[in-house]
Amino acid sequence: MKAPFVSTAAPVIPRRTFLRGLGVAMALPALECMTPVFARSAAPATPRRMLVIVNNIGVLSKHFFPAQTGSDYELSPYLTGLADCRKDFTVFSGLSHPGVTGGHSTDNSFLTSARGAFKANFRNTISLDQFAAEHIGLYTRFASLNLGVNIEKANRSLSFTRDGVLLPAEDKAPALFQKMFVQGDAAAVQAQLKRLEERGSILDTLQAETKRFSRKASTTDKARLDQYFTSVREVEERLQTARQWETRPKPIAPQPAPAAIEEDKYFFEKTELMLSMAQLAFETDSTRIVTLMLDAFKTPVYRLEGQRNTTDSYHGLSHHGFDEKKVQQLEATDRQQMAVLNRLIGSLAQKPEGGERLLDRTMVLYGSNMGEANIHDNTNLPIILAGGGFKHGQHIAFKRNNNTPLCNLFVTMLQRLGIEANAFGSSTGALTDLKMA
Amino acid sequence: MKTVKTLFFIAFLLMVGMAALKNSDAQSAVATQSSATTPLTLLRTTCGGCHNDTTRAGGLDLKALPFDLSSVAARAPWVEIYDRIQKREMPPNSASLSEENWQALLKWLGKAFSDADRADVLANGRGPMRRLNRDEYEQNLRDLLQLPHLDIRDMLPEDRESHHYNKVSEALDMSRVQLSAYLDATEVALQQAMATSDQPPTVARQKAVGEQLSVGRETTGGREAMFWVRDAKGVDLAAEKKAAPNKPSPDPTVEMALFRSPGWPYGIFPRGIVAQATGDYRVRFSARAVLQIPGFVIKPGNKPVPMTFRSRKPTNHDIAEDTRSTGGIIDVQPEGGVYETTVRLNAGQTIEYGLLGLPAPQPDVKGMTAAYRFAPFPADGHPGIAFQWLEMEGPLMPAAWPPPSHRVLFDDLGVGVKSQQPAADAKRLLRRFIKLAEREPVPEEALQSFEKLVLSRLERGATLAESLLAGYQAFLCSDLFLYLREPQRVDDHFAIAQRLSHFLTDSRPDAALLTLASQKKLRNAAVLRRETERLLASDEFARFVNHFTDSWLNLRALRRDDPDIRLYPEYRLDDYLVESAGMETRAFFTAMIRENLPATTVIDSDFTFVNDRLAKHYKLAPLTGSALRKVTLPADSPYGGLLTQAAILKVSANGLNTSPVLRGVWVMDRLMGQPPPPPPPGVPAVEPDIRGAKTMRELIAQHTKSASCAACHAKFDSVGLALENFDVLGAWRTRYRGLENGERVTGIDQTGHDFSYTLANPVDASGKLVDGRSFKDVHGLKEILASNPRQLARNLLHQFTIYATGVPVRFGDRAEIETMLDACAKDGYRVRDLLLALTQSKIFLGPKGCQ
Repeated sequence: MKAPFVSTAAPVIPRRTFLRGLGVAMALPALECMTPVFARSAAPATPRRMLVIVNNIGVLSKHFFPAQTGSDYELSPYLTGLADCRKDFTVFSGLSHPGVTGGHSTDNSFLTSARGAFKANFRNTISLDQFAAEHIGLYTRFASLNLGVNIEKANRSLSFTRDGVLLPAEDKAPALFQKMFVQGDAAAVQAQLKRLEERGSILDTLQAETKRFSRKASTTDKARLDQYFTSVREVEERLQTARQWETRPKPIAPQPAPAAIEEDKYFFEKTELMLSMAQLAFETDSTRIVTLMLDAFKTPVYRLEGQRNTTDSYHGLSHHGFDEKKVQQLEATDRQQMAVLNRLIGSLAQKPEGGERLLDRTMVLYGSNMGEANIHDNTNLPIILAGGGFKHGQHIAFKRNNNTPLCNLFVTMLQRLGIEANAFGSSTGALTDLKMA
Repeated sequence: MKTVKTLFFIAFLLMVGMAALKNSDAQSAVATQSSATTPLTLLRTTCGGCHNDTTRAGGLDLKALPFDLSSVAARAPWVEIYDRIQKREMPPNSASLSEENWQALLKWLGKAFSDADRADVLANGRGPMRRLNRDEYEQNLRDLLQLPHLDIRDMLPEDRESHHYNKVSEALDMSRVQLSAYLDATEVALQQAMATSDQPPTVARQKAVGEQLSVGRETTGGREAMFWVRDAKGVDLAAEKKAAPNKPSPDPTVEMALFRSPGWPYGIFPRGIVAQATGDYRVRFSARAVLQIPGFVIKPGNKPVPMTFRSRKPTNHDIAEDTRSTGGIIDVQPEGGVYETTVRLNAGQTIEYGLLGLPAPQPDVKGMTAAYRFAPFPADGHPGIAFQWLEMEGPLMPAAWPPPSHRVLFDDLGVGVKSQQPAADAKRLLRRFIKLAEREPVPEEALQSFEKLVLSRLERGATLAESLLAGYQAFLCSDLFLYLREPQRVDDHFAIAQRLSHFLTDSRPDAALLTLASQKKLRNAAVLRRETERLLASDEFARFVNHFTDSWLNLRALRRDDPDIRLYPEYRLDDYLVESAGMETRAFFTAMIRENLPATTVIDSDFTFVNDRLAKHYKLAPLTGSALRKVTLPADSPYGGLLTQAAILKVSANGLNTSPVLRGVWVMDRLMGQPPPPPPPGVPAVEPDIRGAKTMRELIAQHTKSASCAACHAKFDSVGLALENFDVLGAWRTRYRGLENGERVTGIDQTGHDFSYTLANPVDASGKLVDGRSFKDVHGLKEILASNPRQLARNLLHQFTIYATGVPVRFGDRAEIETMLDACAKDGYRVRDLLLALTQSKIFLGPKGCQ
C-alpha cells in the first residue's frame, strides 16, 4: 500500500542540456530528458539532499534581517541564535514569489510559486520537492517525505503534484518511523509488486508494438520513434528499480521508535522530533528530499521554553497590533525557532558521511510564506539556506521594493541536487550570488 | 531548432557589422564585383570584404561556410543570408550590389534552395510525426470516452513551445517523464469512464433560505461588503439570534445583500450546499440587483449586476484551493427573478458567489489586522445583489445507466462486466474499443499484440474488466494513438482527416470525417472545402479559437501579471475587465474567420465587441449587461482591430507597465510577421522611470544614438511609441503617470487602499518608421501598417501553417504561399479564404495535394 505522504512519483535522470533553440521557449516545468547517455538507474557517487522547513507565520522581520550585506555582516538579533554555525548558512533578503498574494493562503504556493489563488481560475502546480523527486527519487526507497507539525492535513501542504493535487503530510513521528524501518505487511508488498508487474507488461507490449512500426517509418519519423522507444525502456528500467525497493529489506533502525507527542501545544517538541526523523531518513539514505510544514497558523496556545504557555494561539499572537505582551511572546517564539534550527544544523554538521559532513551534502532551507504576518505581507520573505556545500556566511540582499523570485534560489538548489534544470516556477534564472565552497 | 538562435544572432551581428563598414571597404567590394563569374562567387566577393576569416563581421566568415544544402540545418545559414539580401538589409551600401546582380543572385540562390528543399521533402516528408500535445490528448480522450469534463491535462507535463506554439513536431519530445504521465493520465481516464455502482448516484436537492445563504450569521468583510436585510434595512442577525434563540429559523424574509467581488480573505458561499459526488448540478436562485445607500439601506438597482459561481471547497479563505468559474455569467436584474444555471463541481465542493466588476476587499496591509476599507460611496449608491434563496440539485442523472462512457469500454456487459465467455468477450471488446479509438485502421499485427496482453492478463486470473483496461491503456499510450503522421501517399486520407480535425477542433476526426477518409474522398477539393467549412461552423471550433489565440496572441499570459498598483490602482483585482478583454479578442478573431474579414482587421476595423465593462474602459456609450455585442466605433476612435484591443495591449506590455520596446517587438513579430533579431546578450531592459521625470522616449533615445542599436531598434521602437497612448490595460491616456513628478492624484481604490500617483509628462506618440514614413499617432501608424495587406495575410498563413502542420513554413513552401496570396488578393486577403487555401495546399496535404 502506498502511504499518502510518500511520493512514488517516477523519478527521472538528469537530462542533458538541450535548450539552445531560440524559437524554443522552455515551457515549465517540462524539463525532460532527450536521450539517455548512461545507465539511468545508477545513483551518483555523492548523494545530494534537501530539507525544506516552512513556518507559515514566519518571524518578526525587523529582528531577523541583518542591517549589512555581504560576508562581514553583523548578525541580527535573531541570527545571533545561529552564531555557532555562522559559516554554514546564508541569509537572504528581498526574495519572494511574484504575484503570490493572499495572506495566509499562500503557504500552499511556497514550493510551487503558483500565483493568482483568488482569480477566476486557480490550480496549484508541481512543488519543488516533487519536481526534484521525479529526477532523483529513484535512488532511495522513498522518493520524498512530506512532513508536518500541527498541520491541517486536508488543506495545507508543501507538496503538490503536477496537476496541483495536494499530497497530505505525515504528522506522526512513530508512523513515519514504522514506515522507514519496520517491514510492511507481506500482502501490501505483494499488491505493490503486482501493480508494478502490470505496468511492466503494458510497457512490454508498447515496446513490441513500436518495433513493429519503426520498421517502416521514414528517417525523420524514426528519430521521433527512437525517442519514444527510449522512453519506454527507461520507464521499464525504473520499474525494475522500484521492484527492487519493494523486496529489499528495510535498514536497521539506529535507535528505538519515538514516542508520539499528541498535544498541539508541544509545538517545538514536535518540531524537533520531526527534524530528528528527517535526519534519520538522511542518515539511512531512506530519502534525499524532505519537506516539513510547521502549521503555526493552526497551532493553538503553545508552550515556550521554560514551561510557560503563550496567552494566545500562534496566529492570534502574530496579529500583535504592537501589544507589548504579544510581541514579547513572539520574540521568544522566534528565538526558539532559531535555537531549533541551530541544533539541527549543528547535528547535521557533526555527522560524518563519506569523508564529509552530512551537512555538506544536505541543503537545509528555512523560510516562510509571510514576510510580515501582522500585516499579511507576502513579500520580503525570511529565507535561510544552510549546508549543501555552498560558500556560506553571508547576507545576500536583493531589492526590498522589487523582490527577486524565490524560485531563482530553487533553481540553484535543483542544480545542486544534480538536476540540470534551468528554470522552475516563476524563476528568471539561477541565483548566481551563491557560490560553491 | 537549436541552431536558430545562433543564426538569428549571426544575422544580427552581420547586420551590425555591415552597418559599421567603412566606405573604402565597400568600394573595394564593388571593384571585385565585375569579376564575378557565378552567383556564388559574386556573393563571396561582394560580402567577403567583411565576412572573412580576419574581420568576421557579425561572426560570419563566408569562406568557412561551405555551400552545403544537404539538410535543413545546413541550408539555414544560407537562407538567412538570402533573406538579409532580399530585404536589402545587406549589403549595407546598396551600391555594392547592382540591381541586376541583386536579382540574379537571389534568383539563383532561391532556385538552389527550393530545389534542395523540395527534394528533401519528397525524400523525408515535410516534417516528422508529431506527438499530441496535452490539450489534444485530453480532448481526444474526452471525445473517445464520452467524458466531456475529463480533467487530465494538468497531469501531463507542459509542452515545450516553439515559434509561440505547443504544436511544433520538433519541440514535442517524448521522455520517460512524459510517457509515465501519459500512462498515469490514461489510467485515471479509464477509471473515470468505468461505472462501479449498480445505480447512478442519488440526486439530492439542497436549499438555502435567508440566513442560510452564508455560512455564518455575522457579516463578512465589514458591513459595507455584506449584510443581512429585512424590509430593505440592514439587520444584525447574530444579535437577533442571541436575543431570541428560539425564534424559528431560517427566516425567509431575510435577504443577503452582497457588494463585493471575491478575493482573499473574503468569499461567501451558502451553508450546507455541497456536492456529494463529482458531476453537473442545477442551481436555481432568487436574487435582485440593488443599490446600497449609507446607513445599511438598500434600494432597487438601476442596472443589472453580472455574477458567476466559483467552484471551491468550503474551507475558509486562508486556504488556497482550486477555484474555477462555472455556470457562465448571469446578469441579475433590478426587478429580480429566479435564475437557473448548471455548474460543474467536484465531490466536496460548494459554490462561491462570484459577483463581477465590484470592489474586491483586501485588508489594508499598512494598517492593523483585517482592517477592511471601502472606496468612497458612489453618489447614487453602491451596486450589489440581494439574494433570497438558492437551491442546488444533482448530480444530474445521465440519460442511461451505466453511462455512455462505460459502454464505450464494455459495450452491453453492464456494471460488473460479467461474461460467460471471458476470452471471447475480451477479444471482441478489445477490437471494438480499438475500432472506436483508432484514427486510422490499425494493422492486424498490432491488434494481436494488444490482444496478447489482454489474454495473458486474463489467464493469470485478472478480471475481464482489469484485463481489458490494461489493453486499452496500452493502446492509448502507444505510438498509434500518441502521434500524428503527415499525409504522404496519395491514398492517405486518414492522415488528412486527422490533420484537419486537430487543426480546427484540437481533437480526433468525427465520424463524418472518418467515413470520408475511408471512402478516400478527402483529396477531392470540393469535399475537403465543405468539410473544412463544416468544422469552422461547429461548436468545437471554439477550441481552435482559444488555443490559437493563446499561442499566436499569447492570450494564455493574459492573467499572468498584475499592473503596477501604485500607478494603476483602478485595475487592482479587476478580474472582470481582464476576463472581458479576453472575450473580446476571441470574439473578434472568430468573426475574422467566420465572417471572412480582410487581413487588415488585424490592424484596424470600424467595429469591435464590448460589454458593459469594456464600453466603460474604451469610453464608448454605456452598455448594460455582461454579454458581448458588436458595436460600431466612432470614426475618431483609436480602437478597432486586434492591435489596439485591451487584451493585446496588456499582454504586449511588460506586466507592470508599458514598454514601447517590448510592444514594438511584439507587434512586428506576432501581428506583422517580421520578427526582429534578438537583442545582443548582456543589454539590460529599459525600465520605465516611475518617478515620472523622464519619458520613455527620452529613455530609449540611446537606441538611435548608437548605430549598432539603431539598426534593429528603428524597426520597432517607433511602433511601440505610437501605442504609448494606451496604458498597461489599453485605456487611452494623454499623460504618463508617475510617483513623484507632476500633479498629484490621490484617493482610495476599489480594494480599499489609499493611492497616490502623479500625472506627469504628456504622451508623444509620433514617430517615423524605418522606411521613412512618419505618423502623428496611432491613427497614422494603423494606416501605414494596414497599407500592406499582403504581408498581414502572409503572416496569417505562416501562423496557420505552424498550428496546422507542426512545421513552420519551409523555404520550399514559400512559392506556394505566394500563390495562395495571389489567389486571395482580389478579394482583399480575407481570413477564411486564406485558411481554406491553406487546407487545399500541398503544405497541408503533402506532396500529392488535391485531385
